[in-house]
Amino acid sequence: MSSITQNELASLDEGSKKEIMTFLESENSKQKVQMSIHQFTNICFKQCATTMNTGNLSSQEETCLNNCVNRFLDTNIRIVKGLQSIQ
Amino acid sequence: MALSSIFGGASPSQQQTTVSSSKAASVKEQLKTQIAQELAVANASELVNKVTENCFEKCLSSPYSNAEEGCVDQCLAKYMRSWNVVSKAYVARIQQASTSGEI
Repeated sequence: MSSITQNELASLDEGSKKEIMTFLESENSKQKVQMSIHQFTNICFKQCATTMNTGNLSSQEETCLNNCVNRFLDTNIRIVKGLQSIQ
Repeated sequence: MALSSIFGGASPSQQQTTVSSSKAASVKEQLKTQIAQELAVANASELVNKVTENCFEKCLSSPYSNAEEGCVDQCLAKYMRSWNVVSKAYVARIQQASTSGEI
């Protein structure tokens, strides 16, 4: 795929520019969620994946992962509230 | 949310007629495809890095043993399944928060 030239970018009409901005915003927020999932998986896998005898998750591991995500978010919310209260 | 969802989106139209609006539409689609592709690459490389880091830790604690390849394969499968579990848990939490008006 050839890259887009500056001229082509400048020639975009207002409607197209607006559409691109909306597209960027939605991709941006989607990407934020994706990066959080990467981060949580990284943290929670370390804590929850105990054995590597099988590629499947045991029910304990699955429960652990669910709890890990929820406790991480609880902690996050509590810290934000704590910081807000001393502000 | 699946990684493959990012690959979606129409390919830019090939016809470049004299009408400027179709030219603009082509540039627009090309731009979108390019952005989506770069995000997909960024996500894939993030996944590769994280899986390598984690499975290195889990499997290569004794550097010269032979039983590692199986461990790495299983670790990769387990990591992908974990990714999906975490994704579901997080999305459920976001939805719960948005319906209760917290965000």
